[in-house]
Amino acid sequence: MDVFVNWLQLTQLSLLFQDQVAWLWPLCESLHFLGLCVLIGAAGFFDLRLLGLMRAVPLRTAWTLVPWAKAALFVNFLTGLVFLISQPEQYARNVSMWFKVLFLLVAGINALVFEWFYSRRLLTLESHADTPLAAKVIGGVSLASWFAVLYFGRMIPYLVPDPVSGV
Amino acid sequence: MPDFPMEFLTRLQDSALAQWVGGAETLLAYPTILTLHTVGLSIVVGTCLVIDLRVLGVARQAPLSALRRAPLLIWSAFLVNAVTGVLLFLPSAEQKAFQTIFYVKLACIAVALFAYARIWTLVFRDAGTLAAPIPREARTFAVVSLIFWTGATVAGRLMAYIL
Repeated sequence: MDVFVNWLQLTQLSLLFQDQVAWLWPLCESLHFLGLCVLIGAAGFFDLRLLGLMRAVPLRTAWTLVPWAKAALFVNFLTGLVFLISQPEQYARNVSMWFKVLFLLVAGINALVFEWFYSRRLLTLESHADTPLAAKVIGGVSLASWFAVLYFGRMIPYLVPDPVSGV
Repeated sequence: MPDFPMEFLTRLQDSALAQWVGGAETLLAYPTILTLHTVGLSIVVGTCLVIDLRVLGVARQAPLSALRRAPLLIWSAFLVNAVTGVLLFLPSAEQKAFQTIFYVKLACIAVALFAYARIWTLVFRDAGTLAAPIPREARTFAVVSLIFWTGATVAGRLMAYIL
C-alpha cells in the first residue's frame, strides 16, 4: 500500500492536481456534495417505493429516477478519484475511508442484485401493489448503505492519522 | 464596528456548549454534528429535487398526491440542520458572523424555501390543485428551487475556503 501511495503521489496527474488544489479541491467538493444530494434524493425515492411507501407510484415510474442516481454516482466517482489521486496518503490508511468503500460495495452489489434478479419481475408491478419481502429488504439495505457511505465519507477528515485542514 | 455584536459573539463562542462542540476530544462533538448536518442536507435537498423534477415533468406517471408526506421529511431534516447549523456556528461565531459566503448561503436557503412553499401552494395544497394541470409559475419556482439549493450547498462547502 505504501509503495502504491508513494508511486501515485509522484505521478504527473497527482502533481498536476496538487498544483491546482486551490480551486480544484473546492470545485470537486462542491460537485461531490451536489452529487450526494441527487443520489440520496433519486435513489431514496426508489428505495422508499421498494419499501412499500407511496404505492400510488408504479414501481417502473419510480425507476425513471434511477438514472439520475447513477449519473450522480458517476460524478461522485470522478470527483472522488480527484481527491484520491491528489492526496492518496490521506485516504490509504483511513479507517473511515475503508468503511465507506465497504458500504459502497454493499450498496453496489445490492443494486446489481435488484437489476439482475428482481427488476424484470418487480418493474411490472401495478400501482397500489405492495412489494414482496425481497424488494423491501433490497430497499432497506440500499437506503441504509447509502447513508452509511455518506456518514463515513464525511468522517474521513477526522480520522486521518495526522489531521488536515479540510473540514 | 459596534461593540454589541462582537461582545455577544464572544460570549457565544466562550460558552460551555461552544467549547464542547469545538474542543471536546470526541468524534461525537464537531465531526458527528457536521456529519448530521450533511445527512440533513442530503434529505432536504434530495427531497426538494424529487419534487422539482416531478413538477418539471420527470416521472410524469407518478401521481402528485404520492408526495403529500414530503413536507414531513423536508421539515424534520431541516430542523436537524437548523439545530446542527447553530451548533457548528458557535465555536467560530466571531469568524463566521463576518463571513460573506455564510450570508450568501443563508440567503440561498431563504429563496429556496420560499420557492418550495410557493410550489406547495400552487400544486400540492388540496385536491383541486392536485387535479389541475401544473401552472407555469410552479415550473418556474421548480427551476428557482434547483438553482438556489445548488447555491446553498456550494456556498456551505465554500465556507471552509473563503474565510
